[in-house]
Amino acid sequence: MTIVKKALPYFLAVVASFIAAGIFIALMGFDVFKAYSTILFTSFRTPNGFIQTLLKFVPLVLQALAFTIPLTAGKFNIGGEGQMIAGGIGAAVVGILFSSLPAYLLLPLVILGGIIAGAIWGLIPAWLLYKFNINEILTTVLLNFVALALIDYVCTGALRDPGAGHPTTVAIGVGGWLPLFMKNPPFHAGIIIAILVAIGVYIYTARTTGGYELIATGANPRAAGVFGIKVRRMFVLSLLLGGAIAGLSGAIEVAGVQHRLIEGMQSNYMVLGLIIGLIAKGDNRVVPFVAFAIAILEVGASAMQRTLMIPVEMVFIVEALILLFVLLSDVVRRK
Amino acid sequence: MDILVNFLRLVLLSMVPFVLAGQGTMLGGRTGVFNVAQEGMMLVGASLGFLVSYYSGSIFLGMVAAMLSGALFGLALAYFTTALKMDQFVIGLALFFIGVGLSTLLPKIIIGITLTPPLIKTLPNLAIPLLSSIPVLGPILFNHNILVYASVIISVGLWYFLYRTQKGLELRSVGEHPMTADSLGVNTTKNRYWSTIIGGALIGLSGAYLPMVYSGTFTEGMVMGRGWLAIALTFFGGWSPLPILFGSLFFSAVEVLAFRVQVIGSFLPYQFLQMLPYIATIIVMIITFKRARVPAFLGLNYDREKRSV
Amino acid sequence: MDNQTILELTNVRKVFGQTVALDSVTFSLRRAEIHGLLGGNGAGKTTLMNILYGLYRKDEGEILHKGKKINIQGPKDAIRQGIGMVHQHFLQIGNFTVLENIILGTDIDNRYTMKTQNEEKKILDLCQRFGLDVDLNTTIDTLTVGTRQKVEILKALYRGVDILILDEPTTNLTPQEVDALFESLRVMVNDGLSIVFITHKLREVLSVCDRITVLREGKNITTLDRKDASEEVFVRAMVGDKMDIENSIYFATDQRSSFVNRLDQAAAFEMSSVSFINKDGIPRLKDVSLNIHSGEIVGVSGVAGNGQRELAEIVTGVIPVSHGKILLDSKDITHTNNQELFKTGIAYIPEDRLHDGFLPKANVAQNLILGHHRNQPYSDGNFINWKTVFKETREQIKEYNIKTSGPEDVGGNLSGGNIQRVLIARAFSMPSQLLVAHNPTRGLDIPSMDFVYQKMLKRREEGYATLLISEDLDELIRICDRIAVIYRGEILGILPRSEFDKYAIGRLMSGIKEENPATEEKALP
Repeated sequence: MTIVKKALPYFLAVVASFIAAGIFIALMGFDVFKAYSTILFTSFRTPNGFIQTLLKFVPLVLQALAFTIPLTAGKFNIGGEGQMIAGGIGAAVVGILFSSLPAYLLLPLVILGGIIAGAIWGLIPAWLLYKFNINEILTTVLLNFVALALIDYVCTGALRDPGAGHPTTVAIGVGGWLPLFMKNPPFHAGIIIAILVAIGVYIYTARTTGGYELIATGANPRAAGVFGIKVRRMFVLSLLLGGAIAGLSGAIEVAGVQHRLIEGMQSNYMVLGLIIGLIAKGDNRVVPFVAFAIAILEVGASAMQRTLMIPVEMVFIVEALILLFVLLSDVVRRK
Repeated sequence: MDILVNFLRLVLLSMVPFVLAGQGTMLGGRTGVFNVAQEGMMLVGASLGFLVSYYSGSIFLGMVAAMLSGALFGLALAYFTTALKMDQFVIGLALFFIGVGLSTLLPKIIIGITLTPPLIKTLPNLAIPLLSSIPVLGPILFNHNILVYASVIISVGLWYFLYRTQKGLELRSVGEHPMTADSLGVNTTKNRYWSTIIGGALIGLSGAYLPMVYSGTFTEGMVMGRGWLAIALTFFGGWSPLPILFGSLFFSAVEVLAFRVQVIGSFLPYQFLQMLPYIATIIVMIITFKRARVPAFLGLNYDREKRSV
Repeated sequence: MDNQTILELTNVRKVFGQTVALDSVTFSLRRAEIHGLLGGNGAGKTTLMNILYGLYRKDEGEILHKGKKINIQGPKDAIRQGIGMVHQHFLQIGNFTVLENIILGTDIDNRYTMKTQNEEKKILDLCQRFGLDVDLNTTIDTLTVGTRQKVEILKALYRGVDILILDEPTTNLTPQEVDALFESLRVMVNDGLSIVFITHKLREVLSVCDRITVLREGKNITTLDRKDASEEVFVRAMVGDKMDIENSIYFATDQRSSFVNRLDQAAAFEMSSVSFINKDGIPRLKDVSLNIHSGEIVGVSGVAGNGQRELAEIVTGVIPVSHGKILLDSKDITHTNNQELFKTGIAYIPEDRLHDGFLPKANVAQNLILGHHRNQPYSDGNFINWKTVFKETREQIKEYNIKTSGPEDVGGNLSGGNIQRVLIARAFSMPSQLLVAHNPTRGLDIPSMDFVYQKMLKRREEGYATLLISEDLDELIRICDRIAVIYRGEILGILPRSEFDKYAIGRLMSGIKEENPATEEKALP
């Protein structure tokens, strides 16, 4: 009963945004039902579609958690993109420099390199917040642009692959590649990491004393501080964790998908991560489910662009509308 | 000397997006509505301004369209936060997403995907008679496109309105303590709507400046963080029109400097010059944010009947 | 209705969410009277007047002005009908000048240049007529509470009101200032104004009002002429039948025997020459020395903003001591952080409950363990034992009479009084050497206030120390063993129970020491 009650507004929000976007699609002269059946069912029609969805799920859930963990402490991390790029750079540099190491050494190092680089990228705004009391929203955003220039530098600099047409580094050592569940289509083990991270985040925030302090800080930092919680440390910790998880998503992209650093690999994962986090209303438990749903839409969107020539941005608008309607459902319930 | 004159000229030319977006942000903020959708709104302004100019052949109509789109986003922000009391920051983000999506969707639908982007004519310069022939100052100050002049006039006009008129006093009171304003019969809702709508129009126009003056065409993500920088600028300028005008000179100077040095070439890889505006902004934030004067009710929603005991 | 009546509210009903704030309330006001609106917290006094002033909308009922039905949609309509209201928390804009605050929302003669000579002249005339002395060009932030109240009254007079509502106007005034306020109210009434005087203090209405209406739990109980009724009638009307007035502390008349200071015993809590200098380099506490013995309640009295908050936060370790020394149970705790202090024996009820004491986005259980969340039995240090937490929470909800749907209810759903009960439950649920309570009964109805007093006296019997910082002088006089008076961050005097005297304390509150009573005359207007 309660689950139905909780899920109903989500369902209605999805329906409402599909109707709104459907009108738009129809006005543009496309077949609405074909478009929607492509968006919704591509993931389930073929095994390949389902695997694509699981692969999309990995960066999405990690980016969303990189947003919602700081949000638990009341901090907005809009820097998941930069942290993911930093993580990708860290992972790629480690993977290229130590390319001859065996897998049992190189793979953990590559992943760790990504996590640490992402954490450092998250630590900069955290430090600015701690030391100078500078609002993290702007600093995390601005660091995205810095990271964009940085990845361009790395991909066109000393590690560049001259054979590639697009700014790209050379491949990392084979030992740094994530193992595959199956070769065709390639289905890497990143999904295991993502699920473990999601479970870990849940246990930390819902069960532990430290997680309680994180929640209390987010609920009212002033009161939490008055009652003995070191809130500024919680802010730093939350942004550090967010950066680390975003960095991990960058490392998985390098170690699992591309096996090298490619400019543009961050795609629009951060914005989707924000949308997922906000649709989940910052609840770390709900994030994986929303992330999976958005992954379905994203896989469907690419298929729709290929087969029906409807731009993928259409689905992005649908996702933003779902967010808006979910937020609206709160208002309706309040009244 | 010529290099310096040219540099200063470019600084004035490039300040416009910052001025307009900064004043737009400030205006909404003075009634307490904190807009964070600038980046998306500017992208839509750029995209729509470009498209309308391209198809109508009139840059003026393009500007009007960009302003209308910005005003519409402003209206949405005001409605969701003032009428529905939803979280300003979250709604701002949602509008930002929609703006980002729309800005690329519109050209793709209307023009389709092309290899060579269509171009519009950029805004012509309007040399002011007599003044523009003054040596040094003339080319720096008085030979610009119309929006350079307009951005200065708008800034001064906003200053006069806010600090020298009764309506301005009322508007400012809403952003400081809406309950006080309300208790004295000032219409808080109306003030919030209008300031956010007009502020939105300015932000939309600032986006349209990019294709109309710089590139002649729209490219994905062409705003390059200027919307976010405008928020920093607004804090930097203490949410006050004239300091924002002068502050935008600084933001513009850094941008021009980074660009000029890239062109001339330097020992630094160009990517590090690209980072300059963002890093400079963070440093500015470190120096000035502690003392920044912010409207007391910025970012909060006012609900008359909410009992805040 | 007699012809003297200028305003009448009939059968007014107002519902907030689930709670009925006003239930068929009727109220009438005569020309040139001071009409007291008396009741405990949550009785609906302010809600009723906010409806009259147009800030709240009524769900049912009518408002009659000089016999004609009027429709008030917002404050603008109320102002047009000649109604003005001075809120308990002044509605003023801190960084605007006095002049700007007064003329805001009115039509200015030169509205496109803001040349305001005409307006200034009009205000200065009013200042003279009613003896209200204010500099129009100073910024509100820099003014004292007393002056800000004058600004608030000027705002109403400037708009030409003939009905003035004052909501708890004596909060934060010294007894002397209260007398002065009452005098100028009389001047206004003689000038033809009608005044509604909202208060929860029985003695004040008895001393200044012509008629008194009592509200309780959103219903009006009675309206009586001052001269027709005795104190007991009003007491009973305020609290209802359920409360045991005989044994209450709130209405106690006899002097409770005070604590006997055993000199051989060391103080449980001792602060010597403690100073605090804030971030801007301004000293907020100067050389404060204060000790509290086991089983003693020491009160701190003063006008709000004289360092009470800093004192509370110094003792609880929220802010660092600049100079001096603090001992708890003979242990030096001067530099112990507050996480440790809460673990080892300090409990705290902060004054600003919404900002400093409560987590509106967290649930009731999470709120109740705040500060104890690292201690047994709630936590083993790493993991929280939610089962125990929820069990304890359910018990405390019952004991402290917190109105909520359960431990999982979101804090933001609670009313002000219930939030205060959560804070009180949190502070009393764990044993503590020292309790620091800052305005602990603010927002509570009288029976709940009494409950808190009982709890404090129980601590006293059990031999624990309590520091009660309060802006309600009556409250301090009721239950403290000693009262220290704080003025501009300094303790000007500490009085034992035998020397409690409202006016003596009031003099200290306004910075006048006993030695030089000559300045006293000047201070009183």
